[in-house]
Amino acid sequence: MTENDAAVLSAAGMSRQAAIWSRKFDILVIIVAAFFVASVVYINFLLFAGDWDFFIDFKDREYWVVIYPIVQIMMVAAFQAIFWNLFRLPVGATACAVMMTLLVWLERYQSWGGLSYFPITLVAPSTFFAGALILDGMLCVTRSFLVTGLFGGALFGLTFYPSNWAFFAPYFQPVKLMDSVVPLASMIGYEFARTGTPEYVRLIERGTLRTFGSPVWVSVFFSTFVCILQYLFWWLVGALAAKAAFIPVGYRFKQLYGTNDTRPSAETSSVGLNAKTTGGVA
Amino acid sequence: MKLKFWRNPVLLPLVLVLFGLLPNSAMALGEKSTEPYIRTRTVLWYDVKWSTDKVAVNDTVTVTGKFHLFTDWPDASNRPDLVFLGETTPGASMTRVETYIDGVPAAQSTRGLELGSEHEVKLVLKARIPGRWHLQPELNVRGAGPIIGPGKWIEITGNFADYRNSVTTITGVEIPDVQTYNIGRVQAWHLFWFVIGAAWLVWWLRRPLLIPRWLATKAGRDDILVTSTDDKFGAGLIVVALVATVAGYWNITQEFPYTVPLAAGSNKVKALPAEPQPATFTDARAEYDVPGRTLRLYATVTNSGPRPLRIGEFTTAQLRFVNRGLPAEIKNVDPDYPKDLIAPTPLKIEQDTPIQPGETRKIYMEATDAAWETERLMSFLNDIDTRIGGLVFLFDDQGKRYLAEIGGPVVPVFAKTTQR
Repeated sequence: MTENDAAVLSAAGMSRQAAIWSRKFDILVIIVAAFFVASVVYINFLLFAGDWDFFIDFKDREYWVVIYPIVQIMMVAAFQAIFWNLFRLPVGATACAVMMTLLVWLERYQSWGGLSYFPITLVAPSTFFAGALILDGMLCVTRSFLVTGLFGGALFGLTFYPSNWAFFAPYFQPVKLMDSVVPLASMIGYEFARTGTPEYVRLIERGTLRTFGSPVWVSVFFSTFVCILQYLFWWLVGALAAKAAFIPVGYRFKQLYGTNDTRPSAETSSVGLNAKTTGGVA
Repeated sequence: MKLKFWRNPVLLPLVLVLFGLLPNSAMALGEKSTEPYIRTRTVLWYDVKWSTDKVAVNDTVTVTGKFHLFTDWPDASNRPDLVFLGETTPGASMTRVETYIDGVPAAQSTRGLELGSEHEVKLVLKARIPGRWHLQPELNVRGAGPIIGPGKWIEITGNFADYRNSVTTITGVEIPDVQTYNIGRVQAWHLFWFVIGAAWLVWWLRRPLLIPRWLATKAGRDDILVTSTDDKFGAGLIVVALVATVAGYWNITQEFPYTVPLAAGSNKVKALPAEPQPATFTDARAEYDVPGRTLRLYATVTNSGPRPLRIGEFTTAQLRFVNRGLPAEIKNVDPDYPKDLIAPTPLKIEQDTPIQPGETRKIYMEATDAAWETERLMSFLNDIDTRIGGLVFLFDDQGKRYLAEIGGPVVPVFAKTTQR
């Protein structure tokens, strides 16, 4: 145990024995929280971003670059707020990224590969790790959600495209498909057919925007601004969730839940009341 | 006390995990779920042929056929202004090599199709996963969804490990297998970020955690909860993330300087030259005999051509009702055509005699088969416009085939009616 650990335990007023039991409690909560974070982040992504990260031939220059980061930053900000406000732990964003990465690779291999025979190149996932690490690092250094939102949120949107292009670029090499020049990604999408995903759903890119260089950077900067707003809003949502108060559970609820088969007698009720009035020690 | 199954803390999670991990094959393709008004009155497939029903891994199977765009297209679904030709198979059991509509490459979407027109399709598919798979052509219509054609079971033999799919880019890069190409780089980057992220988590989780930190937070002791060492680690995290992002991006753009955006566009095709259609069906209406599983069609037919015509076949929703008393129609039925799509009960035609040139005649046909129920087609009685449509094949005395549309309202009956 480090000096700092001892100081924290001391500030918490916990004995050494209590600290041991507290550590066991930590492990149980971490296991449950890991599944919770994974589910919330992934379901949120499925609800709001849907197919935009499923397929290699959906990683376009306009929508993928915008939709992915502005959806992922929602739960990232909310979990950062919860972990920070309750425990001063700047790990919410990284926890989301770690659990999302584990879940998404499991899902791509299990569901898309195992159940539907799609090659992993068709469904290679994106990642928001770079932005998540920056957000957590910035919250740790600045201890301010406002500064983290303004600068970290901006960098979250800004780093998504380049950090993913570092490994997706080879899928955009030009190949010849039936006398047309297409990227390898489009060819993979054409060859490994998805019944309900016709090509025309990708007729989405509108405008040229060449004045600003490649259109993708226009999307990146738009995503950057939206990420800032999303971060600040969802931080407040997370902060609200962190204020959730303990709601006393009554006999009726316990009975319905199956954890208590006996109605408390008048005597035990009285003891309980006394315990409450005497500081909770019965 | 004996624990009930659903309260067992070990068994229940174990069962759930097993359900999640064990892969199951998907066989159903969902065509029976498509509304009858789409299957009977939009894209009517005919002359569909499969080059083989047994193919080895890496070999190809070619599907050819035609479709007619029904004139009485239902208002409930979008018109075929933009379509995409594809095939329906369970997962990626076959890979698409080439597709054509009217001879024009159809790797991209196609626009400009008109109602009442005929089109020819061709699909070349490469066998990939050994097994027995149902293969159907399909036309995706924007706003209406995939409209599936007739299907045939194709057996793929061999070993999946032998499947090869290589390509050379325009810039000369050889890609030995597109199924796995570059995936090592993708996973390496994910692993790199994951390790840094895991290190950051461990840095925090190794300390006294929830209750102590919560109590210390409430006590206002932020000074000991986040230390100056944490600040340095946090700042280092930002630097590493930014440097890795910039370096990774710079490096990949140097390695692959020429990339192209996702392809998205559409082709325009010209319909097949219009064949003469001497027969016209008007005033058509239908009854569906619920207990008898029979569609009764009433119509007036006019032969405006120079030769006498006989009705050979009524086809709708991929089902074929064949007039077995007409040799030309028997010849028209490919012996390799899927048997489950040809009704065993012949098409019954009252007054099955040649319709003479210039003659107008009231006709009555009965199309009987359990497929009306098993294909879930009788739910057209619940459609918003309760109409049915289909194609009728007619033959002249020289055996030449002509097409004609037939369609009208359909009414359910529960006994034989005499209304004619």
